[in-house]
Amino acid sequence: MSGATGRSPASHERLRRALVEAAVDENVALITGRRPAAEPRRRHPRFWVTWALVVCVAALLTATVGPFSIGRTTGARAEDALPDAGPVAPVPSLALTPLPRALAPALFDLRISRVVVDPGHGGDDPGARSHTGLAEKEVTLDIALRLEKLLAEAGFEVVMTRERDVFVSLRERVLLANRAGGDLFLSVHVNSIPQPLRRGVETYYLGPTDDPHVEQLAGAENSASGYTLADFRTLLEQVFADVRSDESRRLAGAVQNKLFAALRRHNPNLEDRGVKRAPFAVLIGTEMPSVLAEVSCVSHSDEAELLRQSAYRDRIAHALAAGVFDYAAPHGAPLLVAAPAPGPADGPGERSHQ
Amino acid sequence: MTKDTSGVLHLGIDLGTSRSAIVASSGARHVVDSYVGWPVDMVARKILKRDVLFGREALDNRPMLELHRPLERGLIKEGSAKDERAVRELLAHLISLAGPQQGQRVFAVVGVPAEALRVSRQHLRNAVIGIADSLMIVSEPFAVAYGLDTLLHSLIIDIGAGTTDFCVMNGHYPTEEEQRTLLNAGDAVDDQLMTLLRTRFPEAQLTIHTVRQWKEKYSFVGEPARPVIVTAPVSGKPTTLDITNEVRRACESLVPPIVETMLDLISRADPDYQDKLRHNIILAGGGSQIAGLADALMTALAEVGGGRVLAVEDPVYAGAGGSLAIAREAPEADWERLQG
Repeated sequence: MSGATGRSPASHERLRRALVEAAVDENVALITGRRPAAEPRRRHPRFWVTWALVVCVAALLTATVGPFSIGRTTGARAEDALPDAGPVAPVPSLALTPLPRALAPALFDLRISRVVVDPGHGGDDPGARSHTGLAEKEVTLDIALRLEKLLAEAGFEVVMTRERDVFVSLRERVLLANRAGGDLFLSVHVNSIPQPLRRGVETYYLGPTDDPHVEQLAGAENSASGYTLADFRTLLEQVFADVRSDESRRLAGAVQNKLFAALRRHNPNLEDRGVKRAPFAVLIGTEMPSVLAEVSCVSHSDEAELLRQSAYRDRIAHALAAGVFDYAAPHGAPLLVAAPAPGPADGPGERSHQ
Repeated sequence: MTKDTSGVLHLGIDLGTSRSAIVASSGARHVVDSYVGWPVDMVARKILKRDVLFGREALDNRPMLELHRPLERGLIKEGSAKDERAVRELLAHLISLAGPQQGQRVFAVVGVPAEALRVSRQHLRNAVIGIADSLMIVSEPFAVAYGLDTLLHSLIIDIGAGTTDFCVMNGHYPTEEEQRTLLNAGDAVDDQLMTLLRTRFPEAQLTIHTVRQWKEKYSFVGEPARPVIVTAPVSGKPTTLDITNEVRRACESLVPPIVETMLDLISRADPDYQDKLRHNIILAGGGSQIAGLADALMTALAEVGGGRVLAVEDPVYAGAGGSLAIAREAPEADWERLQG
């Protein structure tokens, strides 16, 4: 195995030392909440085009969401928040205000109209199985089809990643969702937990790091000195990711709350396993607020038995729909959602108290 | 083992999804399965006579334990205090195995899956605060590269249980663009193998732990050296099963995504150095031991000009050894900066 770098011993030693220093710097940055110095990178000509676009979007974000502006609230009118200075004006103010924690969708008059429903597994991939042989792919498809009906009845356009027992790769699911221009992505799965006595529901989203350097980024980096354009580009990409992630987290919270509330009545020992983050491929690749709901545990014999029942699957579908309505309602825009038919337990009608 | 009586014990730790290893400057080396289990109730605690169990012992007693694999799917599950605690317990256990002397300061470098570093850095840091005098977290493929001294024009492919991490080393600390993570890794192979076996032998009584052991023992891609024959209970009766095709199919599911990512990373490298990069590809992690995998990757490389893929000689300790090298070479002043 090649161990040499082809450099002189002294140069090689310097390289090793530089790498250790970089690793230390990265860790120190984490401890202190500061961002490490950026690695010098080659810049492709396309970078400057990208940069120009990023600056424009940054200005728009500043204008509409107001996270970069001192003292502004997300409720500020867009025209009030337009920066006075040129396109790089947002940079200095980055240091003084926290990063955006939530998008104010009402500012954009957002409507949630197209929901992508993704029944997990399928075809050659049965997913988890109960000890009696109930396959996850069968349960997820049935629940997803019920959910599709509920959402469609409520006025949503629903895109299904599969409608029958076929294998669809995760990449294809992501491509389909993105190409369809979905406003939301909801992946339906059934859990299998190594401890057979555990049962419950949990909902995942892909979140940003909880790294304090992101939280304190502005304060650490405001000295317009030393803050390269490349750094800012990276920062903005993170900001945009955070905004989508915040929405995903909110959607996950709505879905989890409805699921747990609806199912606990009929499954008293159900555990609320909470909202969690994980790098599921479908959550990484999709470009809209996305969640993956583990709607029950097939590894628990009682829950597996419940999952065989049409009424229980219906409850799950209604709870998922209620979660979507719950999330969509605060967007403020006229949703044109007709009241769905009440479910056996918690139906979408529950959204009225949101 | 040589006894390190100096004032500092340097440690290199590979905190893996499946197994964790530790190598100490004293010469101590240990590996444990990355399982942490707490007795489910007082009865279990009385029987086990322990508040927490680790590794194989935890796995063997799993009916009486709340069992955690703290880095499942390649990162700490957010929101699960138990998983953070499990990371902490596991690291503390590993350090205790290294046997620091009374009064000796412990400086540790912990290598973690790249995804864990990206997504759960702060959670990781929180989990490990206080278990060593000073501590540095690095990505596992970087630790491997450092330990092997393959720092220039090399590509590390670290196939772990939860994730497969790619890291291009170009003579500087790897940037985000030079690293990739796939979820196609050992656990995915286990799941697929289980699915295939259940489909073919629906009556066989299989557990994921048994299937994982078979995979670790017999994994291969391409042509098998010999048939894979195992014994499993079918309706309670020990029965011989030929699982050759299932093992091959499950293992070969890793090849396309790894090839795709490998070629993509190479294509993004400086064209002047792509040839060198193709000829300096290192497979690390447990998945590096899949028979025929290096050949399969070289077959794919042949279509773009050829290349060479080697597997690390010691996959169990390659990452921990690299972390130890980093620990030993970091100056004392840096360790002071890393306290807290």
